[in-house]
Amino acid sequence: MMGFTATDALFAALSLAAVVAGWRVFATDSMVRASFLLLLSFLAVAGILLLLAAPYIGIATIFMMAVEMMVMAVFMVMFMMNPAGLNPMMMVHQHRLSIAAGVIAFLGLSAAVLLSDLPDDPVDPARPVVRDLGHELLGPSMLVFETAGITLLATMIAAVVLASRPGRYGPSDEGSRPPGLVPGGEPAGRKPEDDQGEGGGHHHHHHHH
Amino acid sequence: MTLTSVLLVAAALVGIGLYGALSQQSFVMLMMGLELMLNGALLAVIGLWSFGLAGAPEGQLLAILVMAVMAVEMAVGFALVVAVYRKRQADTTESLGTLKQ
Amino acid sequence: MTTALLSLAALLLGGAWMAAVMDRLAVAWISGRPAARAFVEPLARAAGLLLRQPVTTERPDATGRVLAPALYLALAAIGLSVVPVAEGVVLTDLSTGIVLWGACEALTVVVVFLHGWSANAPLPLIGAYRYVAIALPTLLLSMFVLIAAALPAESLSVTAIVDSQREVWNVVRQPPGLVLFLMLGLALTFRGPFDYADPEDLAGGTAAETSGPARAAWQAARLCMLVAVAGMASAVFLGGPLGPWLPGPLWLVLKMVAVLALLVAATHLLARLPPSRMLTALWVVLLPAAFLDLVLVGVELLL
Repeated sequence: MMGFTATDALFAALSLAAVVAGWRVFATDSMVRASFLLLLSFLAVAGILLLLAAPYIGIATIFMMAVEMMVMAVFMVMFMMNPAGLNPMMMVHQHRLSIAAGVIAFLGLSAAVLLSDLPDDPVDPARPVVRDLGHELLGPSMLVFETAGITLLATMIAAVVLASRPGRYGPSDEGSRPPGLVPGGEPAGRKPEDDQGEGGGHHHHHHHH
Repeated sequence: MTLTSVLLVAAALVGIGLYGALSQQSFVMLMMGLELMLNGALLAVIGLWSFGLAGAPEGQLLAILVMAVMAVEMAVGFALVVAVYRKRQADTTESLGTLKQ
Repeated sequence: MTTALLSLAALLLGGAWMAAVMDRLAVAWISGRPAARAFVEPLARAAGLLLRQPVTTERPDATGRVLAPALYLALAAIGLSVVPVAEGVVLTDLSTGIVLWGACEALTVVVVFLHGWSANAPLPLIGAYRYVAIALPTLLLSMFVLIAAALPAESLSVTAIVDSQREVWNVVRQPPGLVLFLMLGLALTFRGPFDYADPEDLAGGTAAETSGPARAAWQAARLCMLVAVAGMASAVFLGGPLGPWLPGPLWLVLKMVAVLALLVAATHLLARLPPSRMLTALWVVLLPAAFLDLVLVGVELLL
């Protein structure tokens, strides 16, 4: 249709950055560096989204991913034996299979893209897309939006339940017992089995009558 | 920049992400693979919205949902990593042969 | 475009110098020392830093070390670029300008972490790590507060938000917003009560192992980010270039100087809480307060 425009050049550069940074994520020897590279890949995709006339989604991606990758880097430093990359590291398994799966996924999806009849109905540049999105979120699709919100709330609660050590009735990883039905009475609920050993009940064998 | 080229880039991101999710031993690196696949999904969704839907707002809504999925995946993933690490001192997939306590 | 670019550069450079001078003046005023050299001392110190030799640590992340100050400076410039300098004169006229500012805030946290991590030394890493824990919830404060400021304008564009304050400034409509936003400003530049990244108790924190030109660039970038925060606060809460009698740009500069003075005073007068208590205060007190601010603005607009 037209020649190679500035948009095309920008798109090519951003695509290259997104793909190369995405590949380097799994080829670098430092986990924090890996999360920075993943952030770079996300930022490049956000740039493409901006080129695709999605000013809100594009910038929201930058915002979301900056925070998310920051959290990732924090976890990297917390958990990994090699956070700063001082030692060469290669922690992979089923490597050939994974490469094959990745390549096949790429080829299969590409074939699907190239062989299918893609729609051609581009967005009008004058269209108020951000306003559209707002009206959609709090209008016809409000139920979907609210469901996502409730899911996120449930996620927060689930994450805290999973991750917090001190539970309401004692440490969460030692098995907890509810309090007795009468004050100072025997704990309600199922009795701990004898072979459970130390972990089960520090507090449960004291009876006050 | 055409829809085909955008979708090809998205396919490449999904492919790399799948490689990462399958090949990495560390939980956190595995999650990075999942994130990269979702990154490709986000790009494909907005590409189709921009080129094929005349800007119908539902396309952007779907992108918002992809982001919500990313957030859920991260939060639950890290919570599980913390829980497993507390229980077994394990942070790689190999150290978990079983889900038994 | 050219006007906007030039005024942005002037604002950043002049504002950074002014903020450094205010810092000296505040210290002089508090300690009772003479303030005669306050106007040249920042420049002299900068020159001294530039001449000092750079040190290096054992196996640092070289790219990250070089990039961190440059990116920090770039984020300050991009953040300030959404602020209209006069009516209708704005460098980045985005329909989602305030979201772009939010993205700059989030990336600032990443860049400060990058600065501390890339040195590959204990004190910088501790500073960076501690900073992330405090700065991420502080970011959430500003999200609520900025959405509240965008509500009366019914737009995410900073130009529209400034326009919506023709009758009455947002600081009158939603005073807690400005206070919470200034807290975020202190956190983004890690100053005074929010200095968890580069404090004395960590011998300079993320900058403990940086000297020479890199240290000078880092300090300059911190001051520029302070100017960007002042610009954003003026635009979103104080009506930006709007005002009677005087020309618009002059109003903006006056408001920015006032906000800078507030920020510098807070830097030197307020004490820092221990990190754990600050974290509790953020999640338990300030975050609900920010949410309440948003709810109140919403209710007020419905009535």
